[in-house]
Amino acid sequence: MVSGVEPMNSAYQWLVEVHLANPYLIKALLTGLLVTTVCSVIGCYIVLRRTSFLADALSHSMLAGVVGGYLVMKILFNEEAHALGMLVGSIASGIFTVAIIGYVSRKSRVKDDAVIGVMYTGIFALGGVLASRFSEYVHVDVYHFVIGSILGVSDSDLKMMAVVAIVVLTFVILAFRQLQLISFDRVMAASIGVNVVLIDYMLTTCTAMVVVTGVQVVGIIQVVGLLIAPGATAYLLCDRLKNMIWVAILFGWSGFLIGYYLSEQLNVSPGGMIVVVSTGQFLLVFLVAPRYGLLAGLQRRLRAIPQQLIEDILGVILRSENEQSTAVAIAQRIEYKSDRIRKAVTSLTRQEMLQVDGDIISLTDQGRQHARRLLRAHRLWESYLQHLGVAEEELHERAHVLEHVHDEDAVDYLDDKLGHPLLDPHGAEIPEDFVHLVPGEEVRVAILREGHRGEIVRVLSANIGGLEVGMQLVVGSREDDSQMWVVTVMDGKSMQGVVRLNHAQADAIIVKLQTSD
Amino acid sequence: MSISKDTKRQWGKSQIPAIEVRNLTVSYGPVPALLDVSLSIDPGQLVGVIGPNGSGKSTLLKALLGFVKPDFGDVELFGEDADKAKGRVAYVPQRGSVDWDFPVTVGEVALMGRYGKQPWWRDMSAEDREIADYALEQVRMSEFRNRQIGQLSGGQQQRVFMARAIAQGSEILLLDEPFAGVDAATERAILDVLETTREAGRTLVVVHHDLTTADDYFDSLILLKQRLYAHGTPEQVLHPELLSEVYEGKLRVFSHLPTAAQPADGQRGRANE
Repeated sequence: MVSGVEPMNSAYQWLVEVHLANPYLIKALLTGLLVTTVCSVIGCYIVLRRTSFLADALSHSMLAGVVGGYLVMKILFNEEAHALGMLVGSIASGIFTVAIIGYVSRKSRVKDDAVIGVMYTGIFALGGVLASRFSEYVHVDVYHFVIGSILGVSDSDLKMMAVVAIVVLTFVILAFRQLQLISFDRVMAASIGVNVVLIDYMLTTCTAMVVVTGVQVVGIIQVVGLLIAPGATAYLLCDRLKNMIWVAILFGWSGFLIGYYLSEQLNVSPGGMIVVVSTGQFLLVFLVAPRYGLLAGLQRRLRAIPQQLIEDILGVILRSENEQSTAVAIAQRIEYKSDRIRKAVTSLTRQEMLQVDGDIISLTDQGRQHARRLLRAHRLWESYLQHLGVAEEELHERAHVLEHVHDEDAVDYLDDKLGHPLLDPHGAEIPEDFVHLVPGEEVRVAILREGHRGEIVRVLSANIGGLEVGMQLVVGSREDDSQMWVVTVMDGKSMQGVVRLNHAQADAIIVKLQTSD
Repeated sequence: MSISKDTKRQWGKSQIPAIEVRNLTVSYGPVPALLDVSLSIDPGQLVGVIGPNGSGKSTLLKALLGFVKPDFGDVELFGEDADKAKGRVAYVPQRGSVDWDFPVTVGEVALMGRYGKQPWWRDMSAEDREIADYALEQVRMSEFRNRQIGQLSGGQQQRVFMARAIAQGSEILLLDEPFAGVDAATERAILDVLETTREAGRTLVVVHHDLTTADDYFDSLILLKQRLYAHGTPEQVLHPELLSEVYEGKLRVFSHLPTAAQPADGQRGRANE
């Protein structure tokens, strides 16, 4: 109890009492909340548009912009550390960097990741060189830019941040649809007349401005984390852009507040701690996010019942239909953990493939149909394997693996190649092709079984025993080692004659199947 | 000036072509991407565009969208210049180019079809939302309205983008390889969507790669390789000599080209050797 209340109390004390007593701390708090808000919003677009490397480039090029802006203000107007001058300089150098990266990667064979790497380090270094060459004019603390200093934010900095926040948020709110569309489908955007290039540059400008504010808090190197971590975290949780932006802002705030507080407590640099916490939040969410998290994925995989297990269960029940199947009996025949088998049975019952009556598990009509389809695939595979010369004792095992290939086309192909066999190598009946053998369907005579009747609707080659369109057929037993189809031509109730067909001929006659009885 | 749907339908009846391309020549640098292409497509047709890689298929789509400035010639859609008719033609992107992880729902994608109808500062109107909802109903995707697009099957994903095109109110739909990289069942499902859209009177122009299915899927075919090699019924266009000329013998799969009558019972029985 006490241990839970005490940190809360001290956090409250720190947040309210200490800050109220020290105006410069309030400024730090305000700065942090403002900066993380805009960073998180823009960060969402950076995450979705996969331009985080570009954000990195922007932040580094900023140093040159700051020094340049400082120099210009100092030399032309003799003003020290003019916030607006440095802001404009940063934005200008940011946009210049992005433009030159785009230009060079379009015009040369060097791909854009390499171009980004070359350009931004170059411009960053240029900033450093300028700062040290003109160190008598430029009082920029490079170290401060590299690691940030939230406690050293001036009033003019804060005003500048407020302006940036207003501009950026207004842009994102007004152009929300355009931003969404160019991030999602640029061609569609262009096709309805959205000025894709303009919106791109406006977003880049916003990113540059946001980076400038972010650098105040965490420094050039870490600003990318401040930008991207909240958006990336929210991306793992949200299925709508609007929600993602709101959630990102919340993560931005919590990352800042927790990080800032911890930095006080541990007496470390606030910038570093804020980014550490933001990254920690991301990893935590990556682990536990309900849909896109690591654990959720793992759980789904564990819960998922393998197709093979389901098919084996159906097969086992079908093969022992004259006995009564129980979960225990099934578990004895399938090598699988019994709890998984029980789960599979539950799932099959839900899909109305199985019905459970006390302990007894039986197939529903639908389940039997499915099981018979598997059995047909199994026995056809066995026949096929025997055809290939696979040893008798291996037939069952290998067919057992192959029966899970029961794609309709594959099974039809096997059946046809084998000449539509009636029995498998062990002498068991191969179930008929009930996928196609549906009364009213037009099918080849070759797939019919004894007792089927139908009316000829097409004869695909000439002169087959005088068979013509419109005749009624009844299929008799197969002859000559099941190689010859015997059909009886009927006229009403009376027999007109008997015709013997080989496989090719039986394939060439299409009948409309009637109900057998 | 906007043209009402009724007027357009009347035009359709009086046989003003949906798409009229005259002497279109487009080049990027010294090599022409399209050379003197003239063709005319009637409304309510499902048209396939075929040709080898780099034959100008996507340039033709871009020209129909009004994206490219032709060196010569022009493109008219229902009698109106293509670059003035922005938004009149709906573009359905290639599946591979869509970010299916993007945080956007089925309903939001359909609503995108209405984005061009409102200025950027104004909210979407209730009417826009109704039209988008109705488009989803037409492709039977209403119940998935709140689903994120990545959680749909391939056929459903295609239907969402068809709904977006329908919501756009476009009479002409351009599809960039809708069948690329999908399994047979999905291909069938997508074709169903295309056929229903055509039956609703819309004109579909589809870039297609698979010559073996081209004769089954389309009312007419356009065979391109910079120049227009053929435009007509599949039987006229899928002529082995013509194809081997265009594909320069790089084509081996001719087995399925229309020859003898085939049984229509949907079976794949092979004749016994």
